[in-house]
Amino acid sequence: MKTIQTIAIIGASGNMGAAISKSLAKGNYRLLLCASEQDKVQAVADEIKKSKPAATVETVDCAVDASWEADIIIAAVPYAAEEKVAQKIREVANQKIVISIANPLNDTYDGLVTAPDTSAAEELQKLLPNSKVIKAFNTTFAADFSTPVIDGKQADAFIAGNDGEALQTVSELVSTAGFNPVIAGDLAVSGTLERMQLLLIQLNMKYDYNWLAGWKILHR
Amino acid sequence: MNELFFQKFNEKVPLTSEEQEQIKEYLTPKKLRKRQYILQEGDVCKAISFVEKGALRAYTVDENSNEHIIQFAIEGWTISDLFSFLTAEPATYNIDALEDAELLLITRTAHEELLRTQPKYEKYIRLLITGAYIALQRRLTSNISLPADERYTRFTETYPDIAQRVPQHMIASYIGLTPETLSRVRKKMADRK
Repeated sequence: MKTIQTIAIIGASGNMGAAISKSLAKGNYRLLLCASEQDKVQAVADEIKKSKPAATVETVDCAVDASWEADIIIAAVPYAAEEKVAQKIREVANQKIVISIANPLNDTYDGLVTAPDTSAAEELQKLLPNSKVIKAFNTTFAADFSTPVIDGKQADAFIAGNDGEALQTVSELVSTAGFNPVIAGDLAVSGTLERMQLLLIQLNMKYDYNWLAGWKILHR
Repeated sequence: MNELFFQKFNEKVPLTSEEQEQIKEYLTPKKLRKRQYILQEGDVCKAISFVEKGALRAYTVDENSNEHIIQFAIEGWTISDLFSFLTAEPATYNIDALEDAELLLITRTAHEELLRTQPKYEKYIRLLITGAYIALQRRLTSNISLPADERYTRFTETYPDIAQRVPQHMIASYIGLTPETLSRVRKKMADRK
């Protein structure tokens, strides 16, 4: 596509938000980085501009303005903050793709705070009924974004959602970030994807992967 | 954000507040800054843009890289590459913002769903396209049959708001004159006064 898509990354100063922003700067996108800590998010933008002078990246201090301009919105915020963000952007996110990256972990990292029959993504969809919520970037650690090929293998990145066109668009984002996109199913699959990452986090702590680990489906 | 859209809609087809809420669910609010594109030639036109605020233009580029302006759109107007929107074939027009703009997009999926579920939307769209068709006929007649000065006068009389807001070379392109011809015409008209 020639027409440049604008992506708002809400929470772009966090570990995941910054990693996603930097990796998407490789693509033909206009990035609007948005976070409450202006100096931190400016540092992320400066770093992107330094390594990729041609990248179109700006900081915006208001999630509403950034989302209003955006074609795609990435909610790179923890599960606990999703509700507040959703309330703010609800009107301007109407009909737009909103990516949920959150894993709703409890404080001790040994379980999820969501009920077994739902997920962070499905809860976000309830808060944004007219947006196209897509689960993505939740099965990859922040460090994976600078090293998407681990031990010689390109990490898979799973995507779930209910809108076919939106899934396709997000697949392209995932490819741009350097991962192998795998569309796992509709949004109800999100709970499984979030639990997969719970397991990976537990394994990481147990076997000390140093937060550089990912999933790869072996198949014929 | 969508006040003007519903004002215009209600002028043509009155809506109940429930119908208005139902239609609102399908609209995509989108801000565009000056010189940004909502559509580039070769891509499929995925949405009709209604202008809440600002000004846009649709243009095509010929073999000699000359731009030809097909349409302007200011507050209350819609703009798209209708052929591409309806057929999903690649667009032949570029559409960009001449001023910072606030748009409401009706995507193809939303459009089809609204046509299916909301008879008043179908009526509104029919009236909209009929109006656009009449405007196009008038413009075509003017461009093929009127002398340069009358084309310009008719444009400034029909669209005084646009004439104030867009540069002269774009008006020249829209009415099918070179900028030099338009400049001569304007000078002659000023001398006559």
